[in-house]
Amino acid sequence: MVVEHRRREANLYELILHAPPIAQSATPGQFVMLRPMRTHAPLWRRPYSILRANPDKGVFSVLYSVQSAFTELLSMKPIGSTVQTLGPLGSYFQPVRSARRHILVAGGVGAPPLCFFAARLAPTLQADERILILEGARTADLLIGMDEFRALGAEVRIATDDGSKGYQGYVTDLLAAALNEPVESAVYACGPNRMLRVVAQLCLERGVPCQISLDAPMPCGMGVCLGCAVKVNTPDGGAWYKRACVEGPVFWAEEVCWE
Amino acid sequence: MTPDLRVNLGSLALRNPVMVAAGTFGYGLEYRDLVDLSQLGAIVTKSLTLAPRMGNLPPRVAETPAGMLNAIGLQNDGVDAFVLETLPRLRDYGTPIIASVAGETVEEYVVVAEKLSRTGGVAALELNLSCPNQARGGIEFGVSPELTAQVVAAVRQATDLPLIAKLTPNVGDITPIAQAAVQAGADILCLINTVLGVAVDARTRQFRLASKMGGLSGPAVKPIAQYHLWRVRQALPETPLIGVGGISSVEDAIEFILLGAHAIQIGTANYVQPTLAQEIVQGLAEYLMESGLNHIEAIRGVVM
Repeated sequence: MVVEHRRREANLYELILHAPPIAQSATPGQFVMLRPMRTHAPLWRRPYSILRANPDKGVFSVLYSVQSAFTELLSMKPIGSTVQTLGPLGSYFQPVRSARRHILVAGGVGAPPLCFFAARLAPTLQADERILILEGARTADLLIGMDEFRALGAEVRIATDDGSKGYQGYVTDLLAAALNEPVESAVYACGPNRMLRVVAQLCLERGVPCQISLDAPMPCGMGVCLGCAVKVNTPDGGAWYKRACVEGPVFWAEEVCWE
Repeated sequence: MTPDLRVNLGSLALRNPVMVAAGTFGYGLEYRDLVDLSQLGAIVTKSLTLAPRMGNLPPRVAETPAGMLNAIGLQNDGVDAFVLETLPRLRDYGTPIIASVAGETVEEYVVVAEKLSRTGGVAALELNLSCPNQARGGIEFGVSPELTAQVVAAVRQATDLPLIAKLTPNVGDITPIAQAAVQAGADILCLINTVLGVAVDARTRQFRLASKMGGLSGPAVKPIAQYHLWRVRQALPETPLIGVGGISSVEDAIEFILLGAHAIQIGTANYVQPTLAQEIVQGLAEYLMESGLNHIEAIRGVVM
């Protein structure tokens, strides 16, 4: 049930849904499949990463921007109405407990699952553990989740394509620099696939544990259609396709076959 | 009184005419937490090949107006894994299992069909005739009456199970193919498979599928499916038919039955609404009750 469409930064809305079973079992990195319409045009449900979940209140939220027929329909759902929701679905980020610094790399609209992960990770940290957020966007006004990250007391480093805030360049440049600092790190990333490819490469070269959340067109979200195929390396040296919706969306970087 | 939804397609007896289509319901178990599998008329499996198949490069799917294109490339774990691992668990639900058989050669169809026939627990075989034929440069078996007859006749020799030929719509006239399939020994015809199409991304200036062309499904293809069903029914009035293509509501299912389908399959709509097949079973019963009819056969083929 729709609780609120809350206006947010970067032309986004936070859709808050009341669904206690999902709010109670959601783990950072997981997603839901939403269907606001009863008609079949547009046809597919859409996957949305969970931004936050409050098990006590039975609510969770996702971020969306109004940019398609589907999101227009979603934005028009009145408070108190229902949105058909499947979830929580897929794999999740697993904290690497040996790391002293958890580097969360967010590119563009990839920030929401990392907001959720940071919020769940922060209260579990030992005294010598830190969270470092690296976030990249085209321009300063497209940065997502800054308030959430800062509220956790995490260090935030920013990259923008136009230099309107922070470093002018790619967020992967910030990651390369951070990985040169003498701290045992683990990396968790979500963003465009071309960013994730570089993140994975930087981490694999340095032996840094790295988990990435991959995006793929996803008709069913339940492992049935095999549309969201991700090529992975198999233990025997071969390759096979896994499903971003069931075995993913979060994969270990070394598992993904980047070609 | 609850209307009688039982149907007989030749020797294939079903508790109701609502099936889930090949490739849209996984191997059958994936939706078990959402769908009461024991309510379905039958479950058609993902197409099975002799060896495991990796499938095509992504992107493999693209949404289109009221539909979608797919080029999955028959990714599956192979017939042996299905027989050993999935089938024993699927049988427990008591719902007839129809195995979809695929192959790149006539011999592959035959071997897969033999394995599925020997194991027990498979109610019927559905031949996916939209597979690329390696010996003929990758054209679909189902576009030629001769190739269709070859596959059907060869599999007919290899199995005593009811044999369903699933026809492709990608032909000018479907009736010679339907006739060839029946003459070669198909007991039941299922139509239609997906409609060939392409989609282009104006922003990236590329095809939206890695394999460029794919199969269109979803509500967009419903009139095409109904057209071919109507044609085949006129040509072969005695052959049991399964209608499939864009069914997304109870009304859609009724339309296919009115046009002469003995049974129907839900395909792409399973992705969007996994419980739809169950809802259609219920909806068919309500439709008959509201019409004062006590058997589904009373509406079959009344639209000529």
